[in-house]
Amino acid sequence: MNAQTVTIISVIAITAVITILLRAFPFLLFSSGKKCPGIITYVGKVLSPAAIAMLVIYCICSAYRDRTFAQGGFGLPELTASITVIALHWWKKNPLLSIIAGTAVYMLMVQRFFC
Amino acid sequence: MTRKRIFYQAFYASLPVLMGYTAMGMAAGILLAGKIQRPDIVFWAFLSSLTSISGALQFAIVDWIDNRMALIDVALLTVFLNIRYAMYGLSLLEKFRGIGFRRKFYLIWSLTDETFALEAESNFPDRHANTLYCLFVAMLNHSYWVCGVTIGALAGKFLPFSTKGIDFAMTALFLVVLTDQCREKRNRIPAATGLICAIAGRAFFSVSNMLIPAMIMMTVTFIALRKNLEKQFSLTEDRS
Repeated sequence: MNAQTVTIISVIAITAVITILLRAFPFLLFSSGKKCPGIITYVGKVLSPAAIAMLVIYCICSAYRDRTFAQGGFGLPELTASITVIALHWWKKNPLLSIIAGTAVYMLMVQRFFC
Repeated sequence: MTRKRIFYQAFYASLPVLMGYTAMGMAAGILLAGKIQRPDIVFWAFLSSLTSISGALQFAIVDWIDNRMALIDVALLTVFLNIRYAMYGLSLLEKFRGIGFRRKFYLIWSLTDETFALEAESNFPDRHANTLYCLFVAMLNHSYWVCGVTIGALAGKFLPFSTKGIDFAMTALFLVVLTDQCREKRNRIPAATGLICAIAGRAFFSVSNMLIPAMIMMTVTFIALRKNLEKQFSLTEDRS
């Protein structure tokens, strides 16, 4: 087994087990009618949008892992494609349309203009 | 009510999810196969979609595998990304009470955003019918997702054009989720906090090490701001 296979198996196993545990969390803890502490409910609610926002930044930073800011077109492909996604989604509310259009804009820019 | 009629009702209710999951699953599958090129990738796509059944996660693991992210980071990120599932269970506790272990295990395992939305709405007068309906909805949605991802991975192996830049699909998915969340005013400050903490994390650490400091910063901020932020949530609790 090569290193990548080990990584794939570990990532799939860890994500699956943790996701199931998260889903089961309330059933394991509060099955006997106990009430969930307020702070857990609160943190759970605010963390969802925060984690997604963090991942957007992480994804964009990740694109510059192996190249300099100048080589990547000073963030212009990311900026254009992100605005496309946000504007289109705010307006049309169609997730797939927004993702495909934004990705197409990005692919076009990195393959044609900033390669 | 007969089993068959309950199944038809579940199928009918799940049709919008059929469209959404197959399309989104295919996008995730194409991304996985486009980024990680190996002969057995379709099998891994199938296995991960079958076991996790989680949209954002399915996109995110592509980068985690590609960059061989530290497993502790994988674990923590999964918690942050999917912590909302724990909240869904809270509102289903009563509905799932008294269901046998195996069925309950499957209902919990298969609890996605969309499945939760359909199950929370079901209100058959008979408890047994309710359970059957939830099981059917869960199995249908689960199968749509697995089919979408697997077909996408198959298609991704044979794409006739360069896939350079296709990883933006993951950023785009997160932006879509974020845009939807920010339609609700109360999510805007939490989202902005996440944004600022991530930028701060990147300012002080490398890309590979930025996430854990960012997660710690945002958790501390949220606990400190609890008094101010929680009000918005309790005021709008009944409408959501």
